[in-house]
Amino acid sequence: MTVALDTLDFDAIARRERRLQQSKWWTLAVAFLISLIWLIPFYYLAISVFKTQQEYAAKAPLALPDGLWPIVGNAVEAWTQAKMGFGMLNSAFYGLVGAGLAVFFAAMAAYGLTRLDFRRKNLWFMVIFAGTVFPFQMYLIPLFFFYQDWGILNTHFGMILFYTAICIPFPTLVLKNFMNGLSREMDEAARMDGASEFTVFLRIILPNAWGPMTATFLLQFTWIWNDLLFSTVLGNRPETRSIMNALQVFQGSYASAGPNIVLTAALIASLPSIILFFVLRRHFMEGMRVTSL
Amino acid sequence: MNGREHSDAELLKRIDLKAVERRDRRRQGRNFLVALAFMSPALLLVGVLLLVPVVYNIYLGFTRWRKFSGIDEFAGVENYARMLSNPFFGEALFNTAIWVVASIVFPILIGLAMALLFRGVRFENTFKNIIFIPRILAPTAVGVIWYYVYAPDGLLNRGLSVFSGDPVDIGWLYDSATVTPAIIATFVWQTVGLVMVLVLLGLSAIPKDPLEAAKIDGASKVQVFQHIVLPLLLPTLVMVTILSVLAGFTVFDLLWVMGISYPGQRSLSLTVYMYFEAFQKGAWAYGSAVAVVIGLVVLCVTWIQAVLQQRVDKMTR
Repeated sequence: MTVALDTLDFDAIARRERRLQQSKWWTLAVAFLISLIWLIPFYYLAISVFKTQQEYAAKAPLALPDGLWPIVGNAVEAWTQAKMGFGMLNSAFYGLVGAGLAVFFAAMAAYGLTRLDFRRKNLWFMVIFAGTVFPFQMYLIPLFFFYQDWGILNTHFGMILFYTAICIPFPTLVLKNFMNGLSREMDEAARMDGASEFTVFLRIILPNAWGPMTATFLLQFTWIWNDLLFSTVLGNRPETRSIMNALQVFQGSYASAGPNIVLTAALIASLPSIILFFVLRRHFMEGMRVTSL
Repeated sequence: MNGREHSDAELLKRIDLKAVERRDRRRQGRNFLVALAFMSPALLLVGVLLLVPVVYNIYLGFTRWRKFSGIDEFAGVENYARMLSNPFFGEALFNTAIWVVASIVFPILIGLAMALLFRGVRFENTFKNIIFIPRILAPTAVGVIWYYVYAPDGLLNRGLSVFSGDPVDIGWLYDSATVTPAIIATFVWQTVGLVMVLVLLGLSAIPKDPLEAAKIDGASKVQVFQHIVLPLLLPTLVMVTILSVLAGFTVFDLLWVMGISYPGQRSLSLTVYMYFEAFQKGAWAYGSAVAVVIGLVVLCVTWIQAVLQQRVDKMTR
């Protein structure tokens, strides 16, 4: 393509470039300002956990703390008063076991739904997936009474049972779509060689589905870690409370503890998910892509 | 050649089609049993712990069950009639409606504006991450932080008094006029990052050619956005809107944590109202009926989503 240079209006091009550059500066400034506003609560959290109770009450909310040492006392007080040891252990246990079992069971179901040929597959899938259609409020009252009848209210076993169930439908959808795309040649070959279906699942399909399984595991783990509602209804005892429930109870009865202590507790409760996010960002982004598409 | 055809026909005659069909069905039946074995843990857990409770919940909504009374008394639609005359229910419904409208309008508008603003700007990734970070935190933790931001002598009031010069003393989370908007602002702060990221994903999927063609034809930025970007972004926007509405409609954690000192906490939304009626007052049947109402609204939203998605799919194809 040739351009007749003498017909181009260089002044106009220069003007447009300058305008473009100026608008770039403006957007950069606005973006900077918005980000700053978004960060204020974090900044507030970050400095408040370093303040003693007197400091917190006397100083301006955004003023820097006098020293860094008060955080140790705050953390110890938050940890013991909110019984965060229990909460952390419980939530880690619920998250690891509940999400782990859920993803494994979902993978099994997805295997049955994609690798074996039978009629009315969609109907069976819909039965499992129906678990995500209803709002959580519809489970609460019946479950509370079932749990009471079965004697598993406020037990670790009961919590694991529910968390596993609620985390199954979504990974089933994701893993079903993924396994549909896997080639069938390998499992046919293995079957020819006399491998049982379970061996095919365990040795051939699972190793290939590691990526989406990790992504959905992380999503479900975070969901369990963040859950407040079901822990409040089904496991509301200091020994079985999830970390978020412990935090809420602590905040609700803060007569003895100052805001700086409660904020420290909130920070401690969030640390694992923050660390997890930054260490495994790639997997989270993968999970988000999977959830949205 | 001829001999081969001949033997094929003979072979076909010899194959017993009925037997093949029977074997096929038998194999399908065997496959089904194996598949059922694979699906059984999932089916059992989902069935017993999620689906049966939903059915039982619907049944409970038609009974007269309260603390210390049997379930067996059938009440018909009594619980639903009671809702209509209960002022707290009316208020909860009204606040829930505000949540629905707000979670349609604000996350989408702000998320879209941010996506358009941050796109192609220097440090785009840094800005994106900053807006997204609140999303990592649990709603409970976010609620705790903002509870103190809104406190009477908290960050917001102190900041406002610095700006205005006069001491500001607004009870953000104590006053019925400000409590819902304040919590909605927190909700937007936390969730808009995800909306923005999803919109950016949608924007990056838009092909470059029509944009350049329009620019060469002298279309203004607004025209390009209105006639090219917006229609192509519509599927993303529909999906994000539905996600946002369902999230906003079923918010519980934020209301439970931030509304703790608000005297009318139970009427902050239907979710809180249902929890309050059932687990604090012991009106089990009535609480179940409220849960059914919440379920109906969620089903409606899901249905609207399905219809919209179909329309959009047709439009873009």
